[in-house]
Amino acid sequence: MPEPLLIVRNLKTYFYTEDGVVKAVDGVDFEVYEGETRGIVGESGCGKSVTSLWIMRLLDEKGRIVDGEIIFKGRNLLELSEDEMRRIRGNEIAMIFQEPMVALNPVYTIGDQIIEAITLHQNVDEHKARKMAIDLLRKVGIPEPEKRIDEYPHQLSGGMRQRAMIAMALSCRPSLLIADEPTTALDVTIQAQILELMKELQKEYGMAIILITHDMGVIAETADRVVVMYAGKVVEYADVKTLFNDPKHPYTYGLLTSIPRLDIEQEKLKSIPGVVPDPLNFPSGCRFHPRCEFFEKGKCDVSEPELVEVAEGHKVRCYFWERVDEVKKLEAEKV
Amino acid sequence: MRQETKRILRRLFRNPSAILGFSLLTFFILVAIFAPLLAPPVNSFNPSMKLPDPYIMPVVSWKQEPIPPTTKKDVDPQKLGREPIRCIDYHPFGIIGGRDIFYGVVWGTRTAFKVGIIVTVISTLIGITIGSISGYFGGWVDEVLMRITDVFLSIPFLVAAIVLTTILGVGLDKVMIALIVFGWMGSARLIRGNILQVKEEQFVLAAKALGVRDVFIITKHILPNTIFPVVIQASMRMGSLVITAAALSFLGLGAPQGYADWGALLSYARDWMLEIGEHWYAIVYPGTAMVLFVLAWNLVGDALRDAFDPRLKG
Repeated sequence: MPEPLLIVRNLKTYFYTEDGVVKAVDGVDFEVYEGETRGIVGESGCGKSVTSLWIMRLLDEKGRIVDGEIIFKGRNLLELSEDEMRRIRGNEIAMIFQEPMVALNPVYTIGDQIIEAITLHQNVDEHKARKMAIDLLRKVGIPEPEKRIDEYPHQLSGGMRQRAMIAMALSCRPSLLIADEPTTALDVTIQAQILELMKELQKEYGMAIILITHDMGVIAETADRVVVMYAGKVVEYADVKTLFNDPKHPYTYGLLTSIPRLDIEQEKLKSIPGVVPDPLNFPSGCRFHPRCEFFEKGKCDVSEPELVEVAEGHKVRCYFWERVDEVKKLEAEKV
Repeated sequence: MRQETKRILRRLFRNPSAILGFSLLTFFILVAIFAPLLAPPVNSFNPSMKLPDPYIMPVVSWKQEPIPPTTKKDVDPQKLGREPIRCIDYHPFGIIGGRDIFYGVVWGTRTAFKVGIIVTVISTLIGITIGSISGYFGGWVDEVLMRITDVFLSIPFLVAAIVLTTILGVGLDKVMIALIVFGWMGSARLIRGNILQVKEEQFVLAAKALGVRDVFIITKHILPNTIFPVVIQASMRMGSLVITAAALSFLGLGAPQGYADWGALLSYARDWMLEIGEHWYAIVYPGTAMVLFVLAWNLVGDALRDAFDPRLKG
């Protein structure tokens, strides 16, 4: 195995608020290899976005790193000065956001904004930057880029804006792209186009992508390996095929069975009961136990299970992952 | 870009009140520019002799024969006192305190622009700087700067300006300093509030994610989205500042004796308040100039808001 491009090791981020300590991210480990797509999946509020913002070091002083390190190309990003970090942002690690409607500055044309991104990290003059911007726009599939470059964000459709955002993010050929729910705000047909575009560009540029989403469908389509997060912790860790065919954690299993399926007859769509716990007040023991169908009193609510490796590259944080297997077998027999 | 400029111009001249505002402003600008032609700053006895300082209104006296006709019958032009005289042929707006009102109104336009522009620009810049640092960085920086602003705001503006002018001494520059020192808080608060709102927008985070420096995030990404209310407020304040400056002059604290300033002209009229029906011109001309000046800036401010606000762009 080659050296990973990015290693996140035991990352803990707490927010110190007036009401108490919010353990938004509580010991997250994963790594990203060059050229792969690493999916991070979980419900809202499970700490996916905080993790990604920490990789960019974009959280304000309220969120504090308690422990852990983020190693990118051999350097710990958490120890870099603000100046060094700024040279990495946009240049080596770029980010695209959920809402293309608000992630572009309304007072500048998209051309201005892409040119800014280019000239920020590359030593080119305005004229050359404009040419590069037009090329980028063409590459992300915007028709008539020579004309569109002078349009304002409000003149573009949502899909076009997300394409412009991608063009901006790719302007310096980053080796890592963080996509925070890149398709959530778009309608389904546009979603597919944008995901397809990202895959193509990934192949062309050879960059790694961290794809953050709550949409299992998006994960299935694009990710190579997946981290499933729940309440600030990694609960399961596997490559995408294993995760979908053989989920081990009750939460992952719940997520997968709550996707509507066309191939089996279903009376009612399954769902995971309850909601994500209040981060100010996480349950004792396993944080998933109040919602878990395999919950056993005296064990799950007392101590927290460790991540155990159940197969090569497949880790689960659960005492009773074998029971999930049994249930899966029963389900399979029914069908 | 050109298309955008065209759109802004079209919006700017769309409604009649904007046109009125811009025409008034243009009129005042023309008067200010051509002041030396409209009211030549020359000695009235010897037109080839220039006045040492055109901003000091010359004292009117005449020796020509026959005595120029005045509307005031019993006046002896040889013994011109401080009383108002209406003498349409030579002094179309009349005379007060021995000074030609027309001359004062014309050169007073320059004074009005000077005071308005300098005070507004400097105080707005101070306000923007303090407000944007405060809003963007937040925390204790915000706390300290805003409490300082509160201290300045807690002192009544006119009283503060009077006290400071008294300490600094008489003179137009002193008035301007006083107006600047106590005039920046409005823009500071306005811009801070707007920045607090805009800095949470995702495009600011996106700009940070691109590696843009804090300075450029403020100046390039946040200010253009927040500056318009401040520009509009500034253009409206431009007019009202002229009134404040005039009020100080009226109280004898502003421009020095005889300085071409609308407020100073009005202060001459103060002694004739009881006979104002007879000497209406002493108040009406400088007063009208002031009202129209304020109106012009207010209308322009409105028009600018309609034309430039990026959120109204469609």
